[in-house]
Amino acid sequence: MIVEAGQLALTFAFALSLLLSTVPLYGSFTANQRLLLLAKPLAFGLFIFSAVAMAALIYAFCTSDFTVINVAQNSSSTLPWYYQITASFGSHEGSMLLWVLMLCGWTALVAQFSKALPLLLQGRILGILGLISAGFIAFSLFMSNPFARSLPFYPVEGRDLNPLLQDFGMIMHPPTLYMGYVGFAVAFAFAIAALMGGRFDSVWARWVRPWALAAWLFLTLGIMLGSWWAYNELGWGGWWFWDPVENASFMPWLAGTALIHSLAVTEKRGTFKSWTVLLALSAFALSLVGAFLVRSGVLVSVHSFATDPGRGLYLLAFLLVVIGGSLLLYGSRMNSVRSQARYQLFSREMLLWGNNIFLLTACLIVFLGTLFPLFHKELGLGSISIGEPFFNQMFYYLTIPFALLLGLGPWVRWKQQQVMPLIRPLAMVAVAALIVSLGVLASMQSVQANLALLGMLLGAWVGISALAEVMLRLRQFGSISKGITKLNASHYGMTLAHIGFAVLVIGVAMTKTYTTERDVRMQQGDVATVADYEFTLTEVYELNGPNYGGQAAELDVRKDGQFVTHLHAEKRFYRIQRTIMTESAVHARLSRDLYVSLGEELPGDAWALRIHVKPFVRWIWLGGVLMALGALLALCDKRYRRKQTQREPGAEHA
Amino acid sequence: MRKVLYYLPLFAFLALALFLLSGLFSDPRERDSASLNKALPEFALADVMQPDKIWTPSELKGETYLLNVWGTWCPTCNAELGYLTELRQQGVKIVGLYYELPRDPAFDAPFILAELQKDVQQKLQQQGDPYQFNMLDIDRSLSLDLGVSGAPETFIVDADGIIRAHHIGDINPLVWRSKLAPIYQEWRKP
Amino acid sequence: MSRLACLLILLFSVNALCQEVLSFDTDAQRQLYQDLTAELRCPQCQNQNIADSNAVVAVDMRQKTYQLIREGQDRQQVVDYMINRYGDFVHYLPPVNRYTLWLWLLPLLMLLALFATGVYRRSRQTSALETPEVNTSAVELDQLIARYRSKKP
Repeated sequence: MIVEAGQLALTFAFALSLLLSTVPLYGSFTANQRLLLLAKPLAFGLFIFSAVAMAALIYAFCTSDFTVINVAQNSSSTLPWYYQITASFGSHEGSMLLWVLMLCGWTALVAQFSKALPLLLQGRILGILGLISAGFIAFSLFMSNPFARSLPFYPVEGRDLNPLLQDFGMIMHPPTLYMGYVGFAVAFAFAIAALMGGRFDSVWARWVRPWALAAWLFLTLGIMLGSWWAYNELGWGGWWFWDPVENASFMPWLAGTALIHSLAVTEKRGTFKSWTVLLALSAFALSLVGAFLVRSGVLVSVHSFATDPGRGLYLLAFLLVVIGGSLLLYGSRMNSVRSQARYQLFSREMLLWGNNIFLLTACLIVFLGTLFPLFHKELGLGSISIGEPFFNQMFYYLTIPFALLLGLGPWVRWKQQQVMPLIRPLAMVAVAALIVSLGVLASMQSVQANLALLGMLLGAWVGISALAEVMLRLRQFGSISKGITKLNASHYGMTLAHIGFAVLVIGVAMTKTYTTERDVRMQQGDVATVADYEFTLTEVYELNGPNYGGQAAELDVRKDGQFVTHLHAEKRFYRIQRTIMTESAVHARLSRDLYVSLGEELPGDAWALRIHVKPFVRWIWLGGVLMALGALLALCDKRYRRKQTQREPGAEHA
Repeated sequence: MRKVLYYLPLFAFLALALFLLSGLFSDPRERDSASLNKALPEFALADVMQPDKIWTPSELKGETYLLNVWGTWCPTCNAELGYLTELRQQGVKIVGLYYELPRDPAFDAPFILAELQKDVQQKLQQQGDPYQFNMLDIDRSLSLDLGVSGAPETFIVDADGIIRAHHIGDINPLVWRSKLAPIYQEWRKP
Repeated sequence: MSRLACLLILLFSVNALCQEVLSFDTDAQRQLYQDLTAELRCPQCQNQNIADSNAVVAVDMRQKTYQLIREGQDRQQVVDYMINRYGDFVHYLPPVNRYTLWLWLLPLLMLLALFATGVYRRSRQTSALETPEVNTSAVELDQLIARYRSKKP
């Protein structure tokens, strides 16, 4: 019954989304205020019904209702309850419903927080979001129904959730990632609404900025969680694989990063208008292309969902309508928009343009690396593979000028910056960066001209420069303690995010250079020494979990005779899915991770173990967290908040 | 000119959509073989049934034949035995290359030829025997040289020992008629 | 120099108490093995390198890589050996030819084109000095937004 209620709720949501995508838009063109006012309640209704649908699906999973095909294929009665909940978005069908729920959630948020917007604009934005929702709900309902039953024949036990997905990271990763993906739909809708009305100015940019920032915040966190999950769960000690599915999330992130920077120029200086709009369209367009790549099966990936050409065709048609339509609108409307602001060659405008150029080039690199094999093959030129060596090579050369520019950026003023006043502080930053990086490297390893040194230098340059710039700003208010409350929250946000980038660069460079990896053969009592750490295998024993069996290994780790930690690595055999999973043992510190995964049994009562010592690998995720925190801080800026005096008098009495 | 510039993103997207559309209708896992039009690599493999008999490439020359990579452990291979037997009855020469799996010393019994022979015999009696003979690729070295990624895979080798086709996956009537039969006919003539 | 080398060997070597699963003559060989198995693609798997995959063919390719490295072959020789058998598909870095050249060329061209656009647009702006300066300061923006808000629809 509950499942049917979910199906019904989704159907209602579909009807509401159809109404939302037509009524307010019609009202906006006929200047009918009553139709425009309908947008808000429709948006709330849409969200409520999609939430009911998701709740019904979660209910079906938690009660192990195996008459529902989706449940039977992705859950089992032995699965712990929290994984039963996450299993509801572990499959293609369920994740699509989650996607829909997120989209409707953003729509409701826009409806709630857009009181300051002119009604016309509000109606159009919600209308566009309704249109996109309609497309996805229809896809969910007609092409991949999560509630489909297999009556009258149904299994007594489910096929269980893919063991890879039975991890804490998987509870958090998809919702966050989807919040980010779908969040760019709001910036997209703002852009389309403005294209319809033909009005772009600083006001528009200020309205879009918090939405773009919020989406970027979630996408950053989502990608970071995904990387952390892969590191913990795949057992290879890697944190980024350049798989098409990862790239599909990286492309909108790069475009979104460019967007939040370009929006700053449009807000503050009223220029870069057509470019900002294009980025707002691209960020969401790339999210959609990513969804297509993951769900259509055109690319071979480790993580892609089970595929079906019908779904691919539907999604492609949807892409053509949404992206093709928006780009057509862009082409026809944008050529009349002129920017008027003036700026010199050495100005913040130009530096932010530089930032955008590098981010967009990075985006193109990821795009080509992901899709070039497809182009190559469809042109009849044969199969090729593009992976880590290509991306590493390209990103190496791209990161150097990008980081140099990033260290310079915050110092440079709008319109025009004299070179002379910057020389002294920047020289000091450069010297400090040099001293810090050489000092750090000398204290842990030997200093060599390698990637680690380069990464340290770039990271220190960006980080110290960001800190020094904030200090200087604060001092301009008189004293640091006086200035600390006067500086905008968004300025702190920017600084924090830039420091996050610095931390990320240092983490990547250090891990890449100094990771030590050994495959060893150990019997109980054996000691393996890897990069100064002594790993003693104390015990290997049989495991017996709720839905898995396998072996567990216990290790003691010592360094210079001192006990460091105890490690527990597992190799699980999931009985229903018949797959082997490595649960790596990780001991994490800011300066290094100890990472052990248990391999196969070898002749003579021995085991193969893979032991990594990975210096600074935490910094990669720490950098991501700092960037997301930076975005959060910027969101708290008071200029994005509604003035409290605007409150309607009736609200208090209600 | 300026106007056209603003339509550039649209054109780029439409081009991409075209590729994605054609991508939808092709199998992303299908790939071209590096072994085509090359001579069969050097090998000296024992016959599965008569281990004293050693097969070399020169002995296989003189007639166009199918080289079928298979193993009794592989369900898809067993499923295609029936159709391959039909092909044999139509006069197609088929040589088997037995793809033996590596053994995990912890769990698996050591390799015993007699047991393998029993397995093979049993399977061929049940499903049909398409093979003139079977060569045992015990360490999968010939398979690696041929660019085999798993079983079943099938090569068409011409009378001069040159590889003319490499098919990954099973052979069924559809695949045979549309893909392999024309190549086989072409190289059988002389 | 030799003392430093000794120190490094001490730092990174595996204790004699347990063996490595694969033993190498030099650290350079071990590094080469780790690099190569990370950039050769398993032909049977979805999208995995041979280091991370346990498919039979990946195990065989790892073994062959190990054997070739022990025989003293260098990176290019091992890659060529694999490409000879499994095609360009097997290496995660495609060969450079007139088609794949665009992989490197297109990003570079876009970088240059966008840079040129930025400089060109700026130079046009300074020549058109007559246009009035629009400088929306934060205060003005706040006022503008307040005005929008007061205009009740």
